[in-house]
Amino acid sequence: MPKASKGVLVECDPAIKAIILKIDQEKNEYIVEDLDDTHLMVKDSKVQALKAKLDEELKNAVSYPDEDDDSDRG
Amino acid sequence: VVDQIRLWQIEGERMKTTQGYLFREFEDWQEYDRTVKYAKDIGVLEWKNDSKWLFFVHKHEQLASFVKADKARRAAEGR
Repeated sequence: MPKASKGVLVECDPAIKAIILKIDQEKNEYIVEDLDDTHLMVKDSKVQALKAKLDEELKNAVSYPDEDDDSDRG
Repeated sequence: VVDQIRLWQIEGERMKTTQGYLFREFEDWQEYDRTVKYAKDIGVLEWKNDSKWLFFVHKHEQLASFVKADKARRAAEGR
């Protein structure tokens, strides 16, 4: 008899998925199942928290191309 | 302002979320195949993986009845 578990299907590109996996690694509190390159199943109660964490990670990941500018000039 | 709007658009596309149910632990391929086809027919299928025998639907009530009926039918056939 198959089982059905409640949750939220998350569809995203592989780069975003990699960040989500990294976020989950700390406590394993978000992901129910890693489905494929672009899909994950996440706990119902944790989706909003995950979105907030993802925003945070992406803000931190923003880089400014100062160094590249210097090397071009030099 | 245009850059901000563009940024918001990108944020909106970061992840698409759908509430629902993941079906797993099918006894055999036939059981998986019939159930996933039924899910597709009634328009509730969101994602599937034929090699892992897994699929996700946004509604499960009708599907749960189908699984029970299918199980009963197979039992009656002596399988």
